[in-house]
Order: sequence, then structure tokens, then C-alpha cells
Amino acid sequence: MPATLHTDYMQRLKLDAAEIASRRRFFAIEDEDLQRLSALRPLAETHTAEVLAGFYEWLLAHPGTREFLQDPEVVERLKRTQLQYFLGLFAGKCDTEYVEHRLRVGIAHERVGLPLKWYIGSYSRYLDLAEKLIRQSLPPGGAELSLVSLRRLVFFDMALAVETYVAAVSESIGQHRAAVEELSTPVIRVFEGVLLLPLIGTIDSARAQGIMETVLKRVSDAEAQVMIIDIAGVAVVDTQVADHLLRAYAAVRLLGAATILTGISPQIARTIVDLGVDISAMHTRSRLADGIELALHLTGRELRTGGS
Amino acid sequence: MAVPGVPIVRIGSALLCVFQSGLSDRIAEESQRQLLAQIERSGATQVLLDISSLDEVDTYTAHVLVDTADMARLMGARTVLVGMRPEVAATLAHMGEALVGLETALNVDQGFALLATKRARR
Repeated sequence: MPATLHTDYMQRLKLDAAEIASRRRFFAIEDEDLQRLSALRPLAETHTAEVLAGFYEWLLAHPGTREFLQDPEVVERLKRTQLQYFLGLFAGKCDTEYVEHRLRVGIAHERVGLPLKWYIGSYSRYLDLAEKLIRQSLPPGGAELSLVSLRRLVFFDMALAVETYVAAVSESIGQHRAAVEELSTPVIRVFEGVLLLPLIGTIDSARAQGIMETVLKRVSDAEAQVMIIDIAGVAVVDTQVADHLLRAYAAVRLLGAATILTGISPQIARTIVDLGVDISAMHTRSRLADGIELALHLTGRELRTGGS
Repeated sequence: MAVPGVPIVRIGSALLCVFQSGLSDRIAEESQRQLLAQIERSGATQVLLDISSLDEVDTYTAHVLVDTADMARLMGARTVLVGMRPEVAATLAHMGEALVGLETALNVDQGFALLATKRARR
């Protein structure tokens, strides 16, 4: 749910009060810094329109950022967010609420697919615009101090923005990995008590481990009596793959179910014999259809063709 | 101190031996002794070893189970190991403990169904 997304990120990035305090110490954001910025709030408020106009003019001038500003609705939303962002710098606060708002801004930018380079570049531009404003309005000494405070807070924000992006990326990697893992072991129920696992692609140790776990879990859950493993789509059957298959067979047998290995091409048969791997304990068939027939036989059923 | 064995229930011509979690080597050995004694006394021809409560089975226990089955068979009782958990099976297979020669079934029901078949299948 979008409404709770930023709180979700708060938890994921472990941004509790202690963490925020620790960051503030590291970025050297003292209470005086916040006070100095808060004193500039009236100035910021009177010049908001001008600063944002300058900011958007600059965004529109660059082709990389211009393409994100095609949709008027997006532009309106971004303008509102930017207004809040800009004034937030002069709120004189750096607490949980502030961090939450910064994360919301980060998530919004990540959502529209704005590359991080343009995002970071925008912070630099903000500093330029704010610096110009502050130098025009404050005596040199005061301007320097305020600019240091502003820089500290903007860097604090940048760290949050980068982390939001990284968290979003690692989340999507996690989702993809889960999807791939699920696809790598598609166990299908053929009949009551008969499961089929068609294996496709390369089988390495990590995948073999996953296959073993899934197969055992499914056999146990479904109280299956026969597990058919079809290896017609397996790219290479070498000693290791044969070994993994034998282990799976042994484990499935310990549960009390039989394993039938199908999809054994002449090539694979030759390899297995040449390698000297003994898989004689397993039921093997060349064609999947024969394997299914054997499975039916093992579960006390048979295939009939035609009429009644 | 006497070591308790495991509950052994007689059902018809079968003995159902239910192992419980926290099985130690000594309990496993004592169970084996009691089971063999029961086979002798009752003349049972079938044995079910139910290990569905065990969340781990080490190499030693595995060997005791295989030996028990071999011994029971020598005394004329066909033995089936039932209810092994997936994680236990995975661990044993990884350790190369295939419990060769031991008949297995998913649960007690299917164990009885297997015993009803004429001869031992591989």
C-alpha cells in the first residue's frame, strides 16, 4: 500500500530514533545548524516560487531530466513535493517526521524511474540556488555558517535518497530471485499420489539443494507415492548431476515414495554409463509417457484406451 | 536406572513401534531389545517403525534402525520404516545414509498397505 510504504522503508532501513541521532552526529548536524536554517525560513518562504522556477527551468533544459516532465500531472505532483522539500530544509527539524518525509520524496522519485544520477545532480542544483539566495540576503559571515548547515542537511538527505534507491533495487532482486527459484522446481500433480518434476536448464549444487528440499516437501505434503523426475530438458548430465539425482532418489525413498527418472535420451544414457554412475536402483524410462504409465502401475492403476 | 523403551503396540500380526522425539542412543538400543523380545513372544510377522515424531536422526540412530529391521527379518518379521520427515530424509541423503535394504512408507496407513503386498519391493 503506497500510504504505508515510507513507514515500511523506515523499518527496513532501521531508521529509529537512535539511528537518526547517530546519523545526525556523523553528519555533524547540531541544534545550532537547525536553528540557523530555521531562522532563514521567512526568507525561503518569500523566495520559494523563484527558487522552484529556477530549478524547473534547469530540469527542462537537460534532455535526461526533461523526459520525466512530459506528463503535466507528474509535473504538478513533483512541484508540490519539491515545495515541501525545499521548505523542509528550513523547518529547523531533523527528527523521525523529517526522515519520513525525505523517504517519501525518495520513493516518489524511484517510482517514476528517475535515475539516481539526475536525482543526486538535483541536490547539487538546490545547493546552488539556495546559496545564491542566502548570499544575497545575509552578511558574508552569517551566510557562510548558514551554508555549512544547509550542506550538512542536504548531504544527510542524499544519504537517505541513495538508501531508498538501494532498498528498492534489492527488494526487486529478491522478488526476481524468488520467482526464478519457484520456476526452477515446478512440481506438478499428475494423479492422486503421483507428482512430476520436469527439470530444465543447468543443475548446479545450489539448485540441486533447492530441488531436493522442494521435492521432499511436496512428496510429504501430498503424501505422494511416486515422484517422476523428467530430465529431458537438462542441459548437461555429468557425474555431479547424476549424484544429485541419486541423492534425491535416496531421500524420497526414505520418505516411503518411489522415484522414476524419465527423459533419458541415448546421449544421457551413454553419459551415465560412461561415467560409471550406478543408477540401477532407480526406475528409469526414456519417455515421460512410459514413466507415467509405470507410476500408475506402481500406484495400482492402469491406463486404458478407448471406449468403456 | 532402567532405560525406558518406546511404546510397542500389537495390531493383529503386526507390531507398531512408535519412536518419540528426544530419542537417545540408549533408548534406541533398549527399544531394539524390547522389540525383538516382543517378536519372539508374540510371533509377530510384521513390524512398523514409526519415526514421524523424530525431527532429527543421526548416523548412529539410522544404523540402529537398519540393524533392527535386519534382526527382525531374521526372526521372520518384515519391517517397514514409516513417517520420516522431509528434513530428516534430506540430511540422511546428504550424509550418504541411504538406509539400503530398509522398506519405507509415508505413514502408518501406507506402511500397512505395503505390508499387505506379497513380497518386498526394492
